[in-house]
Amino acid sequence: VEPQLLLACGSFNPITNQHMRLFELARDHLHSTGQYQVVGGIVSPVSDSYGKQGLVQAKHRIAMAKLALQSSNWVRVDEWESQQPDWTETVVTMRYKTCTLNTLPSQYHALPFPSGHSPQLKLLCGADFLDTFKVPGLWQDEHVEEVAGRFGLVCVSRGRLQPEQAMHESDTLSRHRQNIFLVREWMRNETSATEVRRALRRGLSVKYLIPDSVIEYIHKHHLYTEDSERRNKDVVLRPLSKQVQQPVNSWDD
Amino acid sequence: MDPLGVTPVVLLACGSFNPITNMHLRMFELARDHLEDSGRYRVVKGIISPVGDGYKKKGLIEACHRLQMARLATENSDWITVDSWESLQSEWVETAKVIRHHYEELLAAQADSNDVDTVKHTKKRRMDENYFESSSHQKRRDGPQLMLLCGADVLESFGVPNLWRQEDITEIVGRYGLACITRSGCDPHKFIHQSDVLWRHRKNIHIIHEWVANEISATHVRRALRRGRSVRYLLPDAVLQYIQECDLYSDVSEQKNADVVLAPLQRYTGGSSS
Repeated sequence: VEPQLLLACGSFNPITNQHMRLFELARDHLHSTGQYQVVGGIVSPVSDSYGKQGLVQAKHRIAMAKLALQSSNWVRVDEWESQQPDWTETVVTMRYKTCTLNTLPSQYHALPFPSGHSPQLKLLCGADFLDTFKVPGLWQDEHVEEVAGRFGLVCVSRGRLQPEQAMHESDTLSRHRQNIFLVREWMRNETSATEVRRALRRGLSVKYLIPDSVIEYIHKHHLYTEDSERRNKDVVLRPLSKQVQQPVNSWDD
Repeated sequence: MDPLGVTPVVLLACGSFNPITNMHLRMFELARDHLEDSGRYRVVKGIISPVGDGYKKKGLIEACHRLQMARLATENSDWITVDSWESLQSEWVETAKVIRHHYEELLAAQADSNDVDTVKHTKKRRMDENYFESSSHQKRRDGPQLMLLCGADVLESFGVPNLWRQEDITEIVGRYGLACITRSGCDPHKFIHQSDVLWRHRKNIHIIHEWVANEISATHVRRALRRGRSVRYLLPDAVLQYIQECDLYSDVSEQKNADVVLAPLQRYTGGSSS
């Protein structure tokens, strides 16, 4: 049984119950194979330099994610990516995590794993993420190769999206299909951070879509308003403006 | 006092709540936002009324547990409450009777706070058939309006033979009103159009569109629990903890009432009436 760590990259603007559901579904799925044991989950919010419209400051996104995950005994928040001065490619974040795993393991996992068996890092993402691989110029080929081949993907499908199709259409993904785990979510849950922000701007209730503690934090800091939604308006997303073509983040909604 | 023309509303949700999920709680939030946004209503209270064990639905666990879970789930709400009256009845109670019971409770509560004259006036008006048949809420200035909160499936179920008594449907939509949450892919206006009763009282039926699909069925939750899958974030943590402590949903519990006919069908089929 191989120990696994699940890493989720994205805006988490704000974190929603659906984000946390993805971890639960992915863990159940990997455990049901009988081959893996998920020893921890990591939420890695993107840095402010990502340049996405409506992205509030990383310190708030981190604080909200921490509040939301306070009651989880296996998913943690990692601040490294959000603290980088420039936007970080997902694969770079994964490399960094792998390096630090061996030196600071206790920070990232909740359950003990056999010594000498470092956990394997896998990228946790929604089904729409696989589609981004085929967008021309968005990903560097060697990064796709590394994420799918060296690390592995756990992809949770929501709604009508067909991750199988995206896998079939990519030679790289097809080649590494044993390393890509498709998890089916049987219930239609389309809670997205975009919808949550929209409701908050309009004064509508978001209770039971995001944890109460996060709602309190948002109100206390007046986080999501029409003003905040205009942040980075007309700014080109950092992955697209970076000289080299770079990957997008996985949990943008 | 409410500003002129703003009617206080109490939302009543009937169902199995086996177990209560975040979707049930979301329905209350969506309905309140929608009704208050109209400027005509102020939602003052929500009531969750779990069905009694006599309903005989497959997999329905004891009412005491379903009540307790609903109470735990609403601990952090300042307006949604749980009521045990329906679940404590030995036999299944028609929804129309449950609504009637809660309306009487509301009037009684109001009587405590109002002067005698107003109460007499209210009761007098209650007995006036024309008042009940009227769909104009503005006439009900002196009491809160009770609305049945439900999913579009309930509206659809009005058309299922032997599930509802026709007089009950008339009473529910005519006297009280419906706050009906609808999901994409479902057209409640079609059901209203196809039913003369619903059409006549269409102004009493508030269709509320869910802006983000959030389909958490209790059936799915029970299935996941039986299979040892995580249901976290689908229902409140306190409810999940209670389920685990009491070991509530298993293959055995799902077989409860497996071959029993649903109480309403028993009651209305073949002219038998209890």
